[in-house]
Amino acid sequence: MKGRLDRRAVTPLLGLVVLASCFGDPPLAWPPRAPGSQRGGVLFLAAPDDVPTLDPALGYDSRSWMYEQHLFETLVTYDDESRLVPQLAAGWSISDDGRSYRFTLQAGVTFSDGTRLTAADAVGSLERVLDPKTRSQGAEYYRGIRGAADYAAGRSEHVTGLAAPDATTLTVALDEADPLFLHKMALLFAAVVPADYARRLGDDFTDHPIGSGPFVLREWRRGERLVLARNPRYRRNDRPFLDGIVEQSGVDSELAWLQFLSGEIDVAGIPSADFPSIRRAAAAERPGRLISGVALVTNYLGFNCAMPPFDDRRVRQALNYAVDKDDVIALLSGRGVVATSFVPPGMPGYTSATRGYPYDPERARALLREAGLGAGFATELWTQSSDLDLKIGQKVQHDLAAVGVTMTMKQLAWSSFLEAIRQPRRVPLFDLAWSADFPDPSNFLDVLFQSGRSDANNHTFYANPTFDRLLARARPLTDPAARNRAYAKAERLLVDDAPVLLLYHPITYVMLQRRVHGYALHPLLPARFTDVWLDPEPARDQGTGAGS
Amino acid sequence: MSERRTRSGLLRIGLVMGALLVVAAFAGPMLAPYDPTAPVAARLAEPSPPGPPFWLGTDDLGRDVLSRLLWGARVSLLVGLVAMAVTMVIGTVIGLAAGYCGGAVDAVLMRGTDVMLAFPGLLLAVALVAVLRPSVWTIFVVIGLVSWTGVARVVRGETLSLRERDFVLAARAMGANHARIVVSHVLPNVAPTLVVIAALSTSGTILLDAGLSFLGIGVPPPTPTWGRMIQEASAYYRVAPWLMAFPGLAVLYAVLAFNLIAYGLAERGRPGR
Amino acid sequence: MRYLVGRIVWALVILLGTTWITFAIVFVVPGDPARVVAGPRADAATLAGIRRELGLDRSLSTQYGRYLWRLAHGDLGRSYANRQPVARTLAHRLPATAALAGAGLAIAIAIGLAGGLATAPFAGRLVDRAALVGSLAILSAPVFWLGMLALYWLGFRWRLVPLGGAASLRHLLLPALVLGIGTGVYYARLLHTNLQEVLTADYIRAARARGVGPVRLLAVHALRNAALPLLTIIGLDFAALLNGVVLTETVFHWPGLGRLAFDAVLALDVPVIMGTVLLSAELVVATNLAVDLVYRIVDPRIRLG
Repeated sequence: MKGRLDRRAVTPLLGLVVLASCFGDPPLAWPPRAPGSQRGGVLFLAAPDDVPTLDPALGYDSRSWMYEQHLFETLVTYDDESRLVPQLAAGWSISDDGRSYRFTLQAGVTFSDGTRLTAADAVGSLERVLDPKTRSQGAEYYRGIRGAADYAAGRSEHVTGLAAPDATTLTVALDEADPLFLHKMALLFAAVVPADYARRLGDDFTDHPIGSGPFVLREWRRGERLVLARNPRYRRNDRPFLDGIVEQSGVDSELAWLQFLSGEIDVAGIPSADFPSIRRAAAAERPGRLISGVALVTNYLGFNCAMPPFDDRRVRQALNYAVDKDDVIALLSGRGVVATSFVPPGMPGYTSATRGYPYDPERARALLREAGLGAGFATELWTQSSDLDLKIGQKVQHDLAAVGVTMTMKQLAWSSFLEAIRQPRRVPLFDLAWSADFPDPSNFLDVLFQSGRSDANNHTFYANPTFDRLLARARPLTDPAARNRAYAKAERLLVDDAPVLLLYHPITYVMLQRRVHGYALHPLLPARFTDVWLDPEPARDQGTGAGS
Repeated sequence: MSERRTRSGLLRIGLVMGALLVVAAFAGPMLAPYDPTAPVAARLAEPSPPGPPFWLGTDDLGRDVLSRLLWGARVSLLVGLVAMAVTMVIGTVIGLAAGYCGGAVDAVLMRGTDVMLAFPGLLLAVALVAVLRPSVWTIFVVIGLVSWTGVARVVRGETLSLRERDFVLAARAMGANHARIVVSHVLPNVAPTLVVIAALSTSGTILLDAGLSFLGIGVPPPTPTWGRMIQEASAYYRVAPWLMAFPGLAVLYAVLAFNLIAYGLAERGRPGR
Repeated sequence: MRYLVGRIVWALVILLGTTWITFAIVFVVPGDPARVVAGPRADAATLAGIRRELGLDRSLSTQYGRYLWRLAHGDLGRSYANRQPVARTLAHRLPATAALAGAGLAIAIAIGLAGGLATAPFAGRLVDRAALVGSLAILSAPVFWLGMLALYWLGFRWRLVPLGGAASLRHLLLPALVLGIGTGVYYARLLHTNLQEVLTADYIRAARARGVGPVRLLAVHALRNAALPLLTIIGLDFAALLNGVVLTETVFHWPGLGRLAFDAVLALDVPVIMGTVLLSAELVVATNLAVDLVYRIVDPRIRLG
């Protein structure tokens, strides 16, 4: 009788074992590392979620770009100082009117499947981005190419402005001069893919990507792991150093940190809970090497300048004075710098001439009185439901209460939030961050504050003809110094007009195992692994994947 | 004899715990030593452990945990009771209608209930909050909308059996209209069951509210809610475990109070039935 | 047989009802699914193109009709967010959730049987009352909080279980325990109560008079009848268990359907929302149907119409 009971209990357990055997990644085999060689080894990473996509026409986030930039190449790219340098292109020339570009491709480049990379692929790649069927978020960057509109509307078979006169020459004709066009060609949307192959696969290209980058996709099991391996056909013999990269997914930052401490992964962000003590510790006491970089990002609260009371500049300035930005930085455990201008430091066109708005509640109250709001008012901050946004929102809420402004918070999911802030008179105050697509001040100032761009990204509905004129004067300038000067002038006016409550520019901190070298944070791009190499230590268990 | 005493003991403990909760909800703001939204600790981003002058410690925004807990009692109790009321009203009306009318009405209402039961309630709540935007009022309605099915089923069952009872048949024979029969004959007889369900569903709604807050879609800040406190503390669970411990205990206490009341009531009612 | 056909037809109606409700709710969410595809920076032209491409510019009924048409052909569509076929994503995530829910249910039943049988002989005594209050306390704790406590003590302080991930059976233990314990103590109480009623029945008295030992009496004779009502409850509870799955998967970062559905709702990824709701409704309906059938096999007296 006892036996019978036991058997009943055993059956579900057996089922469990069967189910559980679906888990666990099969081990990956890597080539053995020659002793003492800089070459070889595998970099282990972890992330909470899957990479959204590996299709360069689709990805528009740092996670996707991190891996796309290792699978694919663009004609031009950025060096570590964010200067444009050739990648697939050997060189280029621009006509005097700035409307035609002629790129010469490096000879003898092949895709990872062995087929030759030609200028026709470059044409096809751009056409694929412009094709509405691809639903690419990057299409708008290339609408300035002659004939792009006709092509997108289905009126022509090809984009007339794109041509490949021979296998290594790409010519591009633009409708009008565009000082930013080379930057646009450096975006991963413009990566060269085997065009016919990619079109044939459509939405499945992301699962079977083929490019000319230093790595190839070896395995992608969503929710489990993403594995890149060295591309044996890569055009440079001396790179990459690594045999492969393994990213385990479904690992939240908390768990990733513990895995880092136990040596399972090589790179990790530091949880807020641990950051203060890590930062205080001496370099030798830390569990790894701490590196940091200021990102080209500005975190701010946007005022709706078309909605009272924020149509009054004094009210906007008052709120800027009312928030203690140093406290905000303290909340971030120091992982940010106070913003005194909208264009972040490190970006061309950044000006240190503006003082921003130091914490001055007295001045805030005075400005509010001047605006006839001495008794205070109520407003609503619309925000997304991220932990950090809510934390900072609650801090701002408290500071504003001190000057008589009652701020409630409305949390929305990301998609609803984006939709709401586009409506002309719905959202009085919102919480947003803007990061640079390319190192040019227009990417912050024109995109976000030019009047008449409210259908796209001018969510503050800021409209100042003087500011627009300053932008119009700066926009066509090609000489960097003159361009930056002109934009700095516009920036000073903008900070004074205060269509946003300037908060901070985040600083990214990352911990590396001491065996990792050549890993650097880039201000514009996700970390690049092409130059990363590992201490030649044969002790590491190389036969297994990440995790246990 | 001794068994009877312990039985009523459950109810009594539950009532005392509930009374204390009500006191905390009403007097909490007066009892709270600090402003629950103000940074009062010396340092930000580093929670301080329990000890004077912050008896339950401070959180990463430098706020006093004890003060936040006391203020949170008010929200939890309010949401628990109002959402329970919404749940009960929807469930009772549908249950009475289905049970009393029977036939096609019953079939349609109960199949509708089946559809609702097949839904993952929490996901429905998340979607509804997305539609209606988070606020205290939204939470009342949403919790009511996702949790009435259980009430409806029980009420229908009881009504179904009452419908054929003599006093109902007699009233009908005497020409009383249906609304009158339901209100003055059926409802009073369902009432004892309703009281038990109400207590149970209060504990259910408090838990659901905490769950929604934990997922970040509950009552928005600065209102301190226990669920959100647990969620905010989750990033600090290794470094500052007390941060999550206290609000969790608070939820447990409140839910337990109503569960004890419900069980106590149910046990007291059992011999009579 | 006619009964079975009727039940299956109703099951289909219920599933259809859930798709309709979900579609209607998602449709009125103030957000634009095209924005999910287009990303934050796209301009109005790009957005309009995508809306057209996805048929989002059509009326609710047209969109719903199209969805049903494709569904009837076995096509659940592709995610707006990552463009993966929804069916593939569901198939990929299902094992993790099935393992979690299955293990949770197994633990619940184990706790229920053990607890119910262990407390049955002590009905009304102090031990039993303490067990009742203890059970109520466990039932009163938020499942996500239990999860965090378990992570802190069992995972972080005592290092008995891994702290997260879904790589092995060991990883499953903690989330399943947290998911199952509440339901388990609830079952234990139910079984306890049922056993009290059964133990006074004539056939138990007869068995006792025949000299059947107390353990055998309880575990075999009484249990068989006392556990029967539990079966229905388990079917009904399955939906509640799925609620717990969403929270448990969040706490333990378990890569299952609950988390997928939650994220999809927040991101307005309509095809994924529809797919997950449909799948979970299907699971609930199927479980209830199965329980019903098992019930009829186990207890031939029941002939429901």
